Amino acid sequence: MLIELTDIYREYVVGGETVKALNGVSLGITKGEWVAIVGQSGSGKSTMMNVIGCLDTPTRGTYRLNGKDVSHMDDDALADVRNQEIGFIFQNFQLLPRETSLANVELPLVYRGIPAKERRRLAVEALTKVKLESRMSHKPTELSGGQRQRVAIARALASNPSLLLADEPTGNLDSTTGEEIIRLFSELHGQGHTIVLVTHEPKIAARCQRAVRLSDGKIVGDGPGPDIAYEKATAA
Amino acid sequence: MSLRIDFVEGIVIAVKSLRNHRLRTVLTTLGIGIGVATLLAILGITQGMDTSFQKQLASLGSSSVYISKQPWVQMGNWWEFRNRKPLTLEHMDALRSQCTLCKSVVPMLDDNEDVSFLDKEMAFIDITGTTADYASVGGYETPLGRFLSESDNDNRSHVAVLGPGVADTLFPLSSPLGASIRIGNKPFTVIGVLSRKGKILDNDQDITVMIPFNTFKGYFKGHRSISIGVEVRSPDDMSAAEDQMSGILRRARQTPPEKPDDFAINKPDQLASTYQKLTGALFGVAVGIGFITLLVGGIGIMNIMLVSVRERTREIGVRRALGARKRTIIIQFMLEAMVVSALGGLLGTIVGLGGAKIISLVSPLAATVKPLTVVFGVSFAALVGLLFGIWPAARAASLDPVEALRQE
Repeated sequence: MLIELTDIYREYVVGGETVKALNGVSLGITKGEWVAIVGQSGSGKSTMMNVIGCLDTPTRGTYRLNGKDVSHMDDDALADVRNQEIGFIFQNFQLLPRETSLANVELPLVYRGIPAKERRRLAVEALTKVKLESRMSHKPTELSGGQRQRVAIARALASNPSLLLADEPTGNLDSTTGEEIIRLFSELHGQGHTIVLVTHEPKIAARCQRAVRLSDGKIVGDGPGPDIAYEKATAA
Repeated sequence: MSLRIDFVEGIVIAVKSLRNHRLRTVLTTLGIGIGVATLLAILGITQGMDTSFQKQLASLGSSSVYISKQPWVQMGNWWEFRNRKPLTLEHMDALRSQCTLCKSVVPMLDDNEDVSFLDKEMAFIDITGTTADYASVGGYETPLGRFLSESDNDNRSHVAVLGPGVADTLFPLSSPLGASIRIGNKPFTVIGVLSRKGKILDNDQDITVMIPFNTFKGYFKGHRSISIGVEVRSPDDMSAAEDQMSGILRRARQTPPEKPDDFAINKPDQLASTYQKLTGALFGVAVGIGFITLLVGGIGIMNIMLVSVRERTREIGVRRALGARKRTIIIQFMLEAMVVSALGGLLGTIVGLGGAKIISLVSPLAATVKPLTVVFGVSFAALVGLLFGIWPAARAASLDPVEALRQE
């Protein structure tokens, strides 16, 4: 099991009231799966993504990632886990605007302490995988939306993480470009990558091998992508 | 990730960020630079004046004291000093015969008079009446001609030894030896020229004329109290010699035992401490102003770093998501602040040293800069960067990555 969430709670105190963004979630994802996490806004899927991505820690419950209990790690250890285990892909790409594609892709490798030469080699390799070898010295502003997202995917791939974690990866793209990106995910899944994709679009979720539906911080559906994607959200 | 990589990458990021905001970098650098320049110029001038003053004081001789009725530096009741018994030749004779730790004892009188040669005249020149041993007491040499002799004094000869400043002005082309100059309206034959001593503060020691003590007394009336110049046998015996002199003079002057000394044994280093007391406060204020300028520069840095952190919140979020530790972010921003400051420090050092140099060229203030001052300037600038960079850097590092990523 790559991801093992056991009875996860994530509570926030807002204006004196406790909000349960995650209300006892248990979920297992094995290596090589392509899983969509779907739900309406406010369903807890963003919190879920932050917890899975080790950007946030659960209030209660256990999260084992690749065999390690990461639910009670300190900040430095979490930074290292993010660096080594997780490749993030964000809705708004989150590239450094003043850096070239190559420098952007190299960034996680810098934080892993890989020497410059090897870093360069791995980054070029990753950019080639997303067919951007001709855009390596371009800055994000010189690239189209689809190209930017491919740079972001290359950045996620470069450090060879155990998990690709995508947050609404097509949210800022037109449907044709979005389709290209989904096809790229499909390819990566075919190559054995584990992908967790957070989305509110049923159409995207339907393309995934498996989908998990969240509502009010609880899992209300878990099954093959096409089955779950169009299911009507029902309160638990 | 190792600390070394944090620093190497931090420098790379800092330089890139500074290059990306050229105008901002230049302005921030100027802020710190001006502070460092001010501080260095002030320190340079302070040090310069101190060293030149110490050098000047050394020219008075470290083994000589000058006894007079009133101290050089008067703090206290002027009237009390004024009403003391005059210091006379008898007192000097007592010292001469009884002071075993004294090498030479000479009488001294001072006044001012116009000095002229043919059509050249110098007004209000310091005239000293003294005897042969004053050459040794005051540390004078006569590279040209000779100093006053005992027989000059005994014969009340009308001879004069000129300070080099006087000789230069009255005899720009010819040798003054043997020439007949006038002091007031009396003719004097020049027998020697003193070596150069330079200035003490604003007082040019080279503009002086020395004549025999007895000749002086015959010419300038009304000097009731003399000064006595004493050279002790060894500077190491100075305090013992002072005690001895004090005892001899008290006996000679019949000073009651319960009263303090009614004369003053003046030492050149007293001047030094007075000088330091007088100028210390002034320099303190000047250095304080320099520090305030640096402080303002530092606040400028802090301001810019806070802007930089705010502007780059998302970048910080991205870096944290991709595996940067808090430490890495802190180091990144601290280095950015320190690089700007150090640049400013370098700039300020160059400008400050140049400024001190220019000031010493166009004004009577002497400026020397010890190498340590430069090191101090640059490292102090870096320290300012460090201090004023800590808070913005800590703010950057404490950002929640999730929140930071959400920032527009």
